[in-house]
Amino acid sequence: MNIKAQNLGDRSFSRHLVARQFMKSKRKRMMIMGLMLTSMVDMFSLLVIFLLQTFSASPELSVVAKGVTLPQSITSREMKDAPVLAISSAGIYLDQKFIGLTEDLLDQPEPLMNRLSELREIWQKSHPKENFPGEITVQADQGISSAVVSRFMGMLPSQAFGSIQLAVIGAGGKG
Amino acid sequence: MASVVGGASGSGRKKSLDAEINLVSFIDLLSMCICFLLMTAVWLEVGSLQVKQSHGTDAAPSSSQSQELTLKVVSATQADLVLKQGGRILQKASLKSDSLVTLAKQIDQNVASWNRGSVISAAMIETTSAVSYGDLVQVMDSLRRNQVVNLGVVPASRESAMGSVR
Repeated sequence: MNIKAQNLGDRSFSRHLVARQFMKSKRKRMMIMGLMLTSMVDMFSLLVIFLLQTFSASPELSVVAKGVTLPQSITSREMKDAPVLAISSAGIYLDQKFIGLTEDLLDQPEPLMNRLSELREIWQKSHPKENFPGEITVQADQGISSAVVSRFMGMLPSQAFGSIQLAVIGAGGKG
Repeated sequence: MASVVGGASGSGRKKSLDAEINLVSFIDLLSMCICFLLMTAVWLEVGSLQVKQSHGTDAAPSSSQSQELTLKVVSATQADLVLKQGGRILQKASLKSDSLVTLAKQIDQNVASWNRGSVISAAMIETTSAVSYGDLVQVMDSLRRNQVVNLGVVPASRESAMGSVR
């Protein structure tokens, strides 16, 4: 190192500095020029088109209840807005409100019936000139026995909820 | 470079047609679009299977001409199919397989051969406590694939439902 420094005269050193500065500035300029804006805009545009195509205008109506794994279906349709009855082995939830334990409600379904009746009355008050559609969404865990689900489904028509939509995951994650 | 030579006056001046788009604001706009779309994207879309629960409602009884299918799923490997018209049994099949997938295929084949011309108006599905809800949905799927869209589920007895929870 010392030998090299000694060999470099004042003039050669300043030249070296100028050359280094030049290279630095050149490198900097090259970096700025290296960012291809056209291809970046192309990529952004493609991304926007893809996201717009996969964009769902219908609202995500149902938040899947805790402890519920929905089954998959290949013939599912778009879900309509309706009260959500979630059935899991832990308990029963109506519109995300805990109603009771599954076992208790199978034995004594009155709390669920009362809540369904309230929901129907609220709907009828807010839509006085319309007929009650009786739509309800049932979210049930795929591992639960179908006897439990069908038992609850059998209870729903007594409160005029006869049109039941079973919440499922559409094939490939799309409904 | 696109340019136009001359004009109506014939002055011979060159007028450049190149218009520069401000790429910075364009990129800003695209970035905002991407952020919005990514945040509002629904990756797991929840669909629905429609079931008309006729038990306990004032649903209109089916006409004597329409055919009705009754499917009893005993377990994930066994099912009984009965096709009725006005209370008279037209077809009957007892299916057994080693898995639900093959059982669903067998149901598929039977219903497809019986439902030529979409004559089956409705189907009632009866299950036992040994059948899981996921299996029930798969069976419903195989019926809907064959244009049997009016599906109903026979409610299980209280004892059967209670027994499967315990």
